[in-house]
Amino acid sequence: MARLVRPFRSRWYHRFSEKYEYDLLVIGGGSGGLACAKEAAQYGKRVAVMDYVKPSPQGSVWGLGGTCVNVGCVPKKLMHHAALLGAGVRDARSYGWDLPAEATVDWSTLASKLRDHVRSLNWGHRVQLQDKHVKYFNLRGSFLDKHSIRGVSSTKEVLLLAENVVLAVGLRPKFPENVPGAVEHGITSDDIFWLQKSPGKSLVVGGGYVALETAGFLRGLGLDTTLMVRSCCLRGFDQEMATLVSTSLREEGVKFLSGCRPQRVQRSQEGRLQVTWQRRQNVSEEEQKDEWDEKEGQEDFDTVMWAVGRQPVTKDLQLEKAGVQTEATTGKVLVGLHDETSCPGVYAIGDVAEGRPELTPVAIKAGRLLAQRLFAGSTTLMDYTNVPTTVFTPLELGSVGLTEEKAVTLLSPDLIEVYHAYYKPLEYSVPNRNSNQCYIKVVCEREGKQRILGIHFLGPNAGEVTQGFALALRCGASYSDLKSTCGIHPTCAEELIKLQITKRSGKDPTVTGC
Amino acid sequence: MRMNRCRSSSKRERQSWLQNGINYWRHRIRGYELALCTDAWNPRLRTGALYRHFSRLYTGYDVLRKVSFKLPEVVRRSLWTIIAVMPLLARAFDLLVLGGGSGGLACARRAAELGARTALIERGPLGGTCVNVGCVPKKVMYNTAMHADFIHNHTDYGFTVSNVDFSWRKIKERRDAYIKRLNGIYQSNLEKDKIEIIPGSASFSDGSKPTVEVNGQQYTASHIVIATGGRPDVPTETEIPGADFGITSDGFFNLEDLPRQAVVVGAGYIAVELAGIFNHLGCKTSLVIRYDEVLRKFDSMISSNCTTELESDGVALLKRSQVCNVSRNSSGRLVVTVVRGNAADHILSDVDCLVWAIGRKPNCQDLNMSKLGISLDSTGHICTDEYQNTNHSGIYALGDVCGKALLTPVAIAAGRKLANRLFGGEANAKLDYKNIPTVVFSHPPIATIGLTEGEAEAKYGQNIKVYRSTFTPLYYAVTEHKRKCVMKLVCANANEQVVGLHMQGMGCDEILQGFAVAIQMGATKANFDATLAIHPTSAEELVTLR
Repeated sequence: MARLVRPFRSRWYHRFSEKYEYDLLVIGGGSGGLACAKEAAQYGKRVAVMDYVKPSPQGSVWGLGGTCVNVGCVPKKLMHHAALLGAGVRDARSYGWDLPAEATVDWSTLASKLRDHVRSLNWGHRVQLQDKHVKYFNLRGSFLDKHSIRGVSSTKEVLLLAENVVLAVGLRPKFPENVPGAVEHGITSDDIFWLQKSPGKSLVVGGGYVALETAGFLRGLGLDTTLMVRSCCLRGFDQEMATLVSTSLREEGVKFLSGCRPQRVQRSQEGRLQVTWQRRQNVSEEEQKDEWDEKEGQEDFDTVMWAVGRQPVTKDLQLEKAGVQTEATTGKVLVGLHDETSCPGVYAIGDVAEGRPELTPVAIKAGRLLAQRLFAGSTTLMDYTNVPTTVFTPLELGSVGLTEEKAVTLLSPDLIEVYHAYYKPLEYSVPNRNSNQCYIKVVCEREGKQRILGIHFLGPNAGEVTQGFALALRCGASYSDLKSTCGIHPTCAEELIKLQITKRSGKDPTVTGC
Repeated sequence: MRMNRCRSSSKRERQSWLQNGINYWRHRIRGYELALCTDAWNPRLRTGALYRHFSRLYTGYDVLRKVSFKLPEVVRRSLWTIIAVMPLLARAFDLLVLGGGSGGLACARRAAELGARTALIERGPLGGTCVNVGCVPKKVMYNTAMHADFIHNHTDYGFTVSNVDFSWRKIKERRDAYIKRLNGIYQSNLEKDKIEIIPGSASFSDGSKPTVEVNGQQYTASHIVIATGGRPDVPTETEIPGADFGITSDGFFNLEDLPRQAVVVGAGYIAVELAGIFNHLGCKTSLVIRYDEVLRKFDSMISSNCTTELESDGVALLKRSQVCNVSRNSSGRLVVTVVRGNAADHILSDVDCLVWAIGRKPNCQDLNMSKLGISLDSTGHICTDEYQNTNHSGIYALGDVCGKALLTPVAIAAGRKLANRLFGGEANAKLDYKNIPTVVFSHPPIATIGLTEGEAEAKYGQNIKVYRSTFTPLYYAVTEHKRKCVMKLVCANANEQVVGLHMQGMGCDEILQGFAVAIQMGATKANFDATLAIHPTSAEELVTLR
């Protein structure tokens, strides 16, 4: 009997005898928020998650799981796989398979399969929350004060009292300012995976990884794709690698409008999108002055996608009522070492926190560690150094640690040694595929055991290759550790441990034979 | 003495010495001037066998023939004498490498880089097993087979593909061309490093110093490295009647057409890889194994998972079976009889191709090693210490011929270390045979390093902790047919040092290398946990194991 009564009693006990209904309320059901909530629930805490997806200007909405699951990593990786399969058709012919020269993809089949998978993940997240007894509210939250949050939807309104609040609302794509027709006619990464029919001839605007990845998979799926970049590609990545990535995209058939900025988007009489742009004057590496040619370029597209950055959407949260301060230019929430905001009891993790890498695994880990610090007496802080990341362009770029530029500025050119190699993946040999961009660069200290500072790998499967090296870097690996490890033959990854040509030696870094 | 023999010999013998001499000079002299000017000068050679020999050797001959300059008689005569006589004297090098496979090449090139006068003896094409009948053509065929998987998934990913034909001939042609290209690269690498290539089979002969004879010419060196590799083992006709009807992995790469029905015998990685390739390319494949699972030396999770994968792919696994008889039927196809424990014999008829993949044996019978008393182990492999020394000073062995970790990178590393030790002043350079990562190109690929769970248990007792994960890689999220990925991390002691990592799944072949670096460094589970994931990959699963 007692066994039956206890849970009942404890629930009532909690409801009325404590000041707060919840120990933890997470606003935002993305990777970081969910990880934090589930971890906290494991310690027997009363946890709630509030998640609400504001429709994009084009009307796309989705379920629980945040950017990664719905409009980020997961669908983009599947698109990437599809694009690789498309390219694989060409290879297969030289491998003796009798296939047509170009395979055409049926966008609606692919997109519907992809949506089905995303929906199953949404459902999976719901089930997990339920299993862990985390209360889920599909409501839009806003602060009344630092412990009370109002959740509203069109039909419902609740007031929640929570001792700790974690902001994990993430970011949403930006639309360019001062470009007439941008919002009206353009889409963003929020919409691209939810399109019912093929985007057709597409223009992707932006130079970040979202833009490059999207252009890559659209091209891989056989679409006429143009990429408009204002200045440089992949800012923050090693620029030599970034240049190779854009060259590889160009070789895949992506058209480039480099040094261009959009002026306006109009719907032409045939119903297509007429994009007008300006070209930068004297596009030279050094002087990237803001001087633009008067003459305008113009072309018609079926789809225009903006990938010009992401920004937090915190207006509805009414952060000022809790006294949570945000950074003036980015609008992101200011956080300290412990992920705390300017308001005690309110924390921020993931993309919305100022200065943090915008990556799913970072948010997940930060969320877990935060929950452990709040409820399990842990003191472990998140280490934001040596965060590995991969750009899933058709030729993948894996990267961890310092870029060469950063190493040069932090140390000095005399203190670093760069090992590099151009290699040819075996799988490219038979179809005689272009491997001019398959390049590896390892940045090390020059003296002693030559501790590794950064690893950059451009080639097939870079995502899978880089993970282990990220671990090695975390263990403090040096160049001699690479040398003393036995290779795995024949793989692309073994090229990394076979590196022996230094950049300053000026020798030809092309790998020949074993 | 030798000169006398030379004078009294027949014309034919003199010709053969001359040919030897020309071969010799061909290697000796870069630029061919000497050989060609003598050749152009001698009208007899223009029509005879030697001329044909020359025109095969020197592609630029036609151009040079026009340079028909005359030399004074005295010079001509002395040139002939030098050409014919020089090879009769044993030639000395700093390093002589027997075998132009991965290990031998690596050792020779490193030694040459360090300034040693080096020669390399090889009877076949350069590159050895790895390049010609191993890793490289195998991976090409694996990639070919992977396309079968991709084509299956095309429809799932929205591509329209109708029934697809496959042409074995086409890929064989391209593969052969690629390998030929590689052979050429090796050749030019050796030439660049000024290493003399001596074509032919070597055997040890008499001499005050260890001496090797190739095609009648003697060579000696202060250091001789045996890196002759191995070859597939086949049962004898007395063991299994009709065994000679079968081929080996070497023969696999000579197949001109995809067999309709194939039987692969063996449970090792070669058997698994070949069966996987056959099966994926649409050949009806049976795999005959002695026990219940393949890859029995691997971690139990790997052997059972790989066995399941093979079966679900449609490979007919004949467990607890052994081939007892092979014969040819009236239509010229093979009939393979298999004994299966207590059950009735199983007869596989209409087999086009029987592949023995029951193991490999060392290539050292023809070396005449008994002359030097080099000791061999019970399986015929050359015994070496950890520094690759044999029991005869100045003679070393490395690679597959030693029978330890039969892997290309192991041989390469051992070869380089040895060269560093002999010529680079690194007295203690040796290869660490612990933590050698290996990949099996099965479907999906297997990657492993370190101790299996069983080995770890034997070594650390209860002091181990094992983390496991099974998941479906994202690639298969939208496909009908899914292949799961299994992973296992074996940790030992209180600090949970990672002593073994075993996995099978898409992409595992590329995942392992970086982890191998970390495990070699002594990474612990805590290091794994502290590493941030790369999303979405399969590899991230390893750093998020709980």
